[in-house]
Amino acid sequence: MDYAIQQVLNALSFGAEYALLALGLAIVFSIMGLVNFAHGEIIAAGGYSMFAITSLLTGNPFVVIVGALLVAVLASVLLERVAFRPVRYADASTGLLTAFGVSMILQNLFLLLVSPRPIAITNLYFLNWPIEVAGVQISTLQVFETVTTAIAICLLVVFLKKSSFGIAMRAASLDFEMVRLMGIRANRVVAVAFAVSGLLAGLACIFIMARRGSVDPTFGFNPVLKAFVACVLGGFGSLPGAVLGGFLLGAIEVGMLVLLPQSYGGMKEAFVFGIVALILVWRPDGILSPAVEKGDKL
Amino acid sequence: MSLSAYISRDQRSGLVGSLLLSCLLIAVGLLVVYFGQRYQLRIVYAAYVNLLVVLGLQVFMGNANITNLSHSAFMGIGAYVAAICVTPVKIKAISLPQAPWGLNAFALDPWVSAFIAIAITALLAWLVGLIITRLSGIGATIVSLALLVIVHSIFLHRTDIFKGKQAFFGIPQVFDINSILIISVCAIFVARAFRESHWGIQLRASADDEVGARSMGVNVYRVRLIAWVLGSVFLAVAGISYAYFLGTISARPFYFTHVFLTVAMLILGGMRTVTGAVLGTLLISFGLEGVRYLETGPELLGIKLPELLGLSGIMLGVVIVVTMAFRSSGITGNTEIEQLFNRWRR
Amino acid sequence: MLELHNVRVYHGPIEAVHGLSVSVSEGQCVVLLGPNGAGKTSTLSAIAGVASSRGQITFNGHDLEGLSIEERQRLGIALAPEGRRIFSNLSVRENLLIGAATRTDRPGVASDIDYWFSTFPVLHERSDQAAGTLSGGEQQMLTIARALMSKPRILLLDEPSLGLAPLICKQIFALIDSLKAQGMTILLVEQNVRDALQLADYGYMLNSGNLMSEGDRETLSRQGASMSTLTGINHT
Repeated sequence: MDYAIQQVLNALSFGAEYALLALGLAIVFSIMGLVNFAHGEIIAAGGYSMFAITSLLTGNPFVVIVGALLVAVLASVLLERVAFRPVRYADASTGLLTAFGVSMILQNLFLLLVSPRPIAITNLYFLNWPIEVAGVQISTLQVFETVTTAIAICLLVVFLKKSSFGIAMRAASLDFEMVRLMGIRANRVVAVAFAVSGLLAGLACIFIMARRGSVDPTFGFNPVLKAFVACVLGGFGSLPGAVLGGFLLGAIEVGMLVLLPQSYGGMKEAFVFGIVALILVWRPDGILSPAVEKGDKL
Repeated sequence: MSLSAYISRDQRSGLVGSLLLSCLLIAVGLLVVYFGQRYQLRIVYAAYVNLLVVLGLQVFMGNANITNLSHSAFMGIGAYVAAICVTPVKIKAISLPQAPWGLNAFALDPWVSAFIAIAITALLAWLVGLIITRLSGIGATIVSLALLVIVHSIFLHRTDIFKGKQAFFGIPQVFDINSILIISVCAIFVARAFRESHWGIQLRASADDEVGARSMGVNVYRVRLIAWVLGSVFLAVAGISYAYFLGTISARPFYFTHVFLTVAMLILGGMRTVTGAVLGTLLISFGLEGVRYLETGPELLGIKLPELLGLSGIMLGVVIVVTMAFRSSGITGNTEIEQLFNRWRR
Repeated sequence: MLELHNVRVYHGPIEAVHGLSVSVSEGQCVVLLGPNGAGKTSTLSAIAGVASSRGQITFNGHDLEGLSIEERQRLGIALAPEGRRIFSNLSVRENLLIGAATRTDRPGVASDIDYWFSTFPVLHERSDQAAGTLSGGEQQMLTIARALMSKPRILLLDEPSLGLAPLICKQIFALIDSLKAQGMTILLVEQNVRDALQLADYGYMLNSGNLMSEGDRETLSRQGASMSTLTGINHT
């Protein structure tokens, strides 16, 4: 029983992390049709900023956390400004390849300017200590992660439903040009989308960091790959889909860990991606794919 | 009867273009054979192997306009199958003592091995292709990505067959620069012939307007599948050429780094044309060598430059971003080499 | 108020309008007539900044060249586009709210929404439903109301009667008439010649991107019979 509860919690916390990352991808995609593969490097930038703040300013964890969030938001907005604006109205594959290029540049910049080797950042370990609840051993980090994700999703929903800017962003995901025809500045909508996306990446970065305790140039690669998969699973461009896909992916991963015999441990990824491919064959546009606007004239 | 009764004007034009590109390849090859040093020979060889990969990519990705990221996996499959078949039993007894199904108990002629490798790669590609050709856009890209991850983790996990991260050694080095020259010239003709063929035209039409092509009676899935399998043959040949020249392979080169490198080559040159594939490969291959030289921190004009690890990656990324921003159809756009010459003459 | 001088409109490499001059003065209702493919919608798109164009377009003394879609809207140009293009997943109320995105007077926006809800009780009944569930006529009303929420100086109306039942058409034209009576400047694109001419102060007749004729209501009505044979417009 304990084991089962632990695994469920595992699945939830993995899923929460993936949901955060996938939401970040989905919010940008829903508005401008861009698959932002450089999202991973935003996460890595957050990680490196933790290192910079710790070694230059202070090791105070709250300063470090706030600083990392800020850097992630700024980096995300800056990337849009510099790299993605020229391809804003281009087709999806042009945007995807641009994002690959940006990701490659940033990874190698980290390598060139900081170090190819992992850098230890241990001042977030305090988030992660074991506690016993009703006789079950769990880690606080998992609780924090799940709760934070839940709060972030709620805030995002409120923002999108209640604020006038949120309404504009939802409208932009349906018909961007029409939103501009309402006098709403395209640059501002896109910038806010990237800022939200960066904030979500920053949150994810904190939890990944608290678990791993080190950052290296390819730090963001695996998380963004998972986020990408989660988005596709849920239906690209659908925000509820991203959340569903994230949690589903978390569940599949933990399920694989539980079900696969020890000797097949290295094959976990292969099975996870195999299941994902099968789901896509079953539903090519993902589980909750958004309704396609049929541009009928009447 | 004249030749023109059998082939169209575009196909004739394609023959001329392939000939021109072959001359370019042979010229570079001869230059390095007569004047180059050993390490330059290796660079050119590697560039031509990548050319095969990029041509294979062009056949599917360029004509169908679907971003494919699984190609390095198919190259790996071709390389490993050939390596397993061709490596002498004595060496396999040492390197693969635990191999199942008697894989370490036989060794075949290089040609037979190559044939088997191509056949197995094409068969696997066909099976996967049945699925992937039915998806389009982002869906197809993600499944190809999944494929890459799956194949890579199999390479890493089944150390008893593939040796994982360690080197699979002892492959007879039967290829030299001449072999790759001949192969790449053939590859250019095949890729160009496919582009101008009945299927190639249908595929390009479906890339521009899938619904429109369908309504004209084009079986989009079928032409995509043909291109996908043909592309995989190119990739298998690239993998075999790689293994037969180096003599050792490992799983690492068949993963993301190589995927991005070759995709960058194709999109810089222009994925819609065979000329673009050749141009992009040569530019990036030789350009990167220059950058790698700078990376090591050389002395230029009396100034000692610092070591700049990662510079080549940055340059590659910049090439992709700049190409996408200013000329997303690549250098050649929609123009093949002979069309360019014709324009000059006029 | 709005002046187009020798305007050419492009869709990619194709020129859809070959040098058109149009003038709309304050409080006027001007109509662009012509069959499918005449370049009417292209002209409106060029004014709104959606399609690229050459030639001069001035609005209230501002040269519109180089201004983005949103900057033009902020000068007071509102487009109610062809095919309506409501935000189908957003509620009716949200659609209206987004129309007023450039306004800062919250009470004014609220009272304008109430005004439209009282004008079109159907929209009020469905204010929290997804706009995609509305009927075609209701969607058209919403589109016009949404465009007017920004308190524009000119309304560009693209084929408001397209695909609607005759009874609904009548309501739409009655609405346009009342807007005109309130002093709204309107540039209307229509294929429904007779109804449109009844509203219009002045009209332009286009075919294949060229101006065929222009004139006030009487002139165009008189030419109507010959025009219909020339352009194939159903003149009933």
